[in-house]
Amino acid sequence: MTPFEIAMPTSLREATGLLDPEDPTIRVMSGGTALMLMMKTDVFHPTRLISLRKIEETASQMGLLPDGRFRIGGMCTLAQMEHNDDLAAFAPVIRQTMRMLANVRVRNVATIGGALSHGDPHMDLPPVLVALDAIAVTEGPEGSREIPVAELHAGYYETVLNGDELIREVIIPAQDARRMTYLKCTTRAVKDWPALGVALTGVFEGDTLEDPRLVIGSVAETPIRVDEAETVIKGRSLTDKVIREAGEAASANVETIPDELGSAAYKSQLVRVYVERALRAVANQTV
Amino acid sequence: MNDQAIQSQAVGASHPRREARQKVTGRVEYIHNLRLPNMLYGKICRSTVAHAKIVSIDTSEAEAYPGVELVLTGEDIRKVMPDPYFGVMFHDQPVLALDKVRYVGEPVAIVLSKDSNIADDACAMIDVQYEELEPVFDELEALGASTFVHEELKPGIPEISFLKGVRDTNVGFPYQLRHGNDVDAAFEAAEHVFEHEFRTHPSAHVPLEPPVTVAEPTGEGLTIHTANQSPSFVSYEISRLLGWPQSKVRTRVPFLGGGFGAKLWIRLEALVAAAALLAKRPVKVSLSMEEQFYTITKHGATLKIKSGVDKDGKIIARKCNVFWNGGAYADIGPAVAFHAGMTAAGPYDIADVAIDSLSVYTNRPVAGAMRGFGHPQLIWAYENHTDMMAHELGIDPLEFRRRNILREGAEHATGTKLNTSAVEQVLERVAAGVDWGKPFDKGEGTIKRGRGFAIGIKASIAPSTSEAIVRISSDGSATLYCSSVDMGQGSDTAHAQIVAEVLDIPVERVHVVHPDTDVTPYDTGTLGSRSLYHMGNAARLAALDAKDKLDQLAKEVGAAEPGSNVPIWEIFARKNGMPVGNVVGTASFTPPGHVPPDPMTGQSPDITPYWMFGGTAAEVEIDTETGRVTIVKLVNVADAGKLINPKIVEHQISGASIMQLGQTMQEKVHFDFGQVTNASFADYKIPSMLDIPEIVNDLLDSEEAEGPFGAKGAGETGSFCVSSAVANAVFDAVGVRVHEMPITGETVYRALREAANDPLGED
Ligand SMILES: Cc1cc2nc3c(=O)[nH]c(=O)nc-3n(C[C@H](O)[C@H](O)[C@H](O)COP(=O)(O)OP(=O)(O)OC[C@H]3O[C@@H](n4cnc5c(N)ncnc54)[C@H](O)[C@@H]3O)c2cc1C
Repeated sequence: MTPFEIAMPTSLREATGLLDPEDPTIRVMSGGTALMLMMKTDVFHPTRLISLRKIEETASQMGLLPDGRFRIGGMCTLAQMEHNDDLAAFAPVIRQTMRMLANVRVRNVATIGGALSHGDPHMDLPPVLVALDAIAVTEGPEGSREIPVAELHAGYYETVLNGDELIREVIIPAQDARRMTYLKCTTRAVKDWPALGVALTGVFEGDTLEDPRLVIGSVAETPIRVDEAETVIKGRSLTDKVIREAGEAASANVETIPDELGSAAYKSQLVRVYVERALRAVANQTV
Repeated sequence: MNDQAIQSQAVGASHPRREARQKVTGRVEYIHNLRLPNMLYGKICRSTVAHAKIVSIDTSEAEAYPGVELVLTGEDIRKVMPDPYFGVMFHDQPVLALDKVRYVGEPVAIVLSKDSNIADDACAMIDVQYEELEPVFDELEALGASTFVHEELKPGIPEISFLKGVRDTNVGFPYQLRHGNDVDAAFEAAEHVFEHEFRTHPSAHVPLEPPVTVAEPTGEGLTIHTANQSPSFVSYEISRLLGWPQSKVRTRVPFLGGGFGAKLWIRLEALVAAAALLAKRPVKVSLSMEEQFYTITKHGATLKIKSGVDKDGKIIARKCNVFWNGGAYADIGPAVAFHAGMTAAGPYDIADVAIDSLSVYTNRPVAGAMRGFGHPQLIWAYENHTDMMAHELGIDPLEFRRRNILREGAEHATGTKLNTSAVEQVLERVAAGVDWGKPFDKGEGTIKRGRGFAIGIKASIAPSTSEAIVRISSDGSATLYCSSVDMGQGSDTAHAQIVAEVLDIPVERVHVVHPDTDVTPYDTGTLGSRSLYHMGNAARLAALDAKDKLDQLAKEVGAAEPGSNVPIWEIFARKNGMPVGNVVGTASFTPPGHVPPDPMTGQSPDITPYWMFGGTAAEVEIDTETGRVTIVKLVNVADAGKLINPKIVEHQISGASIMQLGQTMQEKVHFDFGQVTNASFADYKIPSMLDIPEIVNDLLDSEEAEGPFGAKGAGETGSFCVSSAVANAVFDAVGVRVHEMPITGETVYRALREAANDPLGED
């Protein structure tokens, strides 16, 4: 390992100024959990790391905004998100997800900014935030942008963020009476990076499901919202038949990528099964 | 019957592990923490191709890099080791590659620097030009291949010198056993013939402390500080390579952060020793976790097994063909082929048996011994096979085994008679462990439940030798000098208990000196569950010898009259004028009676000093929509002889079963054209707490006739039967048979679809 420099800016703005879009060996580090793995396995050799640890305190704060939306600072740790009761009341699926994500040690330091920017497809939070319709607010030399999390990921370890653009915060719109769930499937150890994640949110009107958002994570390069399956369930009551059709539609329309976690054909089967299970879970949720 | 009376509370009680407090407070010595003045760090430049001629190695850029002290290639090693090939069985492994590389990751050069980061960077500057050769990765393909991993075989030890100079083959060692009459004739006569094939994958030992060695030139000699399971062999082999007297090579080993077979024989020692002598400074090489995956694996294997059964459900003939994927160098592979091959017919009474067990060279990392020494792979095959036959014959698997089990006094396929009924007891206890024969909730809907069990047998290593020295001080305390390595299995504690028992002193009064070949005598190595039996006996005999000498001394100084209660210090005071001095007892133990097996038939009237028996039963739950198998419960039954320290034995049994469970359910080394693609704990998943089921360990109340106080080894026993017990339980639950590990959800789901005549697409 070649020695590298560590910078400790005191604001996010200063941090963006230290980045160089032309130089991929300069990166920000928030929790460092993903970066350290990449450095240990020799896939990333930094010349400069910019620690975000000393930036403004608001980056590590979260809470309900006056307009009913929920704001999470980019440096909030996954553990903070897990333990925040307001967030749990606002979107219970986040606490549900955290309990399955990595382990206590990782959650204690990993941040939402890192979790969204890393771009590894095998992650739990991105599909959940897509299903919640969350927005990432960024900061760069040209100012600030709002990017729906649904549009943030561009490919395998790729995001649409510019080289000198950072995530300042994540905003989740009011969920009102939305039901939500996230099902994670691992195929090696019980605790593992997901082989598949299914996030589902939707509003029930009586028996029928309105405005569903069904997002499949981990099986492809980015989280995928499955229109074809959403069409099947939209405005219908979740009978066994509808649930089966939706599972079938998801399985048929999501292109899965084979890797050491499973073949493409097997993952398609998992998609079918877990979509059905997610639908049953929300149908059975007591409000 | 074992007639060694137990008088004090030393033996048979669960004394706490003597190093436990030091370990949890971070005070134990590990070589990873060792820093010597003036020490250089070595980083290894490794082959990027699986099979190639080395055309050239250009080290000039690395040598010119600031901070680099020395760069060595294979040819440089010859300056201190004229014939730089090492190996416990075949002298076939070069210290650094010479003219050829045989696997991805093979050491090609080493860079030395005071700064390990600089050495690491400089490694990347070494330019190696290869002329690639056709590689061969699969053990079956290697058999018929026209490409040869080694142009010529290089046997080292006399027992296999008949292989000398064999050319044009990838077969490293062809073990064979023939018992009874011609098996093929017996198959003709059989009512039913069953034939099945199984595979196992290479897995990794991954002790949490990767291999590490420091070599220190000391004037005339050399000291090797290393994490190694066989310190005596290290001194033996390094002195052979250097052409030095053994007395000049000192090997010392403190605690190991796990071994499991990964740290046997020579790992880094030859390279680091040569580097230190050439640099004339201490040199340290510590492997990364990633490098471990390129250094040693557990054998993958293909196992073909065929049995003939008569009309009464009695197995009358068996043929086994086992092909071990040994990787690029022999290491202990031939002994695994030999040793595991020996018991390939299982703990069954079969008249006619033919076994061929071949270790095969391939262009993969070296496969060595791992906890169980090939037996978990073999038992995987024969206990799946046993259940499959039982089901096809419509006989209950327990009943089928009862009909065929090897009873006390019967002759095992090796020609050695079984001197115990333990195997029958293991069978009954393991079946009882899951209430076999009683009603069972088979689950409903998409969740199905099943249970299964398996039994296995293993012979001990033979011949092998342990030597020990016991010194009694003038205050009556004692010191044990032995070369057994405590790598977490608790041997220090158990050996101290044995010495304390003989001398009738508190266990705390016994100090155990860690392996240091300057002072601790010879031991074959800490492997194959042999230490407690062999070193336990040596320690016991050395303590008895010391005790005799003390009695003798008492006589000499007139303190031995009947009823005399002259304290030990006074005995020494009468002799030496002051209460000072020692008596020293010694012992060398090689189990007597061993008859080497006939090389053509494998037959021997005395093939092993003791047998090991284990059984495991498993209860599983299967999600039929995903195939995912959840292990609900494991029951391990083991014959560990008399328990010197019951708690340690139990931990060994459950530890071994958890390790094997990981390899059964989730661990697999993935290769892409010879390159390991999951060389880290992020992608190679050993079990975490959540993967471990309820485990019940049930130990037989038994005694090993010639064992120290009736004890014998048990470090591997828990590993034997886990895989086949799980596979049998999976079959019980959903009626499909898995032929290849790991038993992932996908494997089971595919088998279910196959059985439903609706196979899942290939990719
Ligand atoms: C042992 C282990 C187990 C894991 N298991 C899981 C699991 O089960 N499920 C799961 O989802 N994930 C898992 N992960 C991945 C984990 O979620 C990520 O490593 C983590 O979320 C990354 O966050 P971080 O703050 O540590 O990021 P860092 O490592 O600090 O950074 C990651 C990347 O994001 C960039 N970055 C960081 N902050 C920002 C920002 N504010 N704006 C723009 N770019 C930024 C960095 O430059 C870097 O490229 C696991 C990780 C480990 C080490």
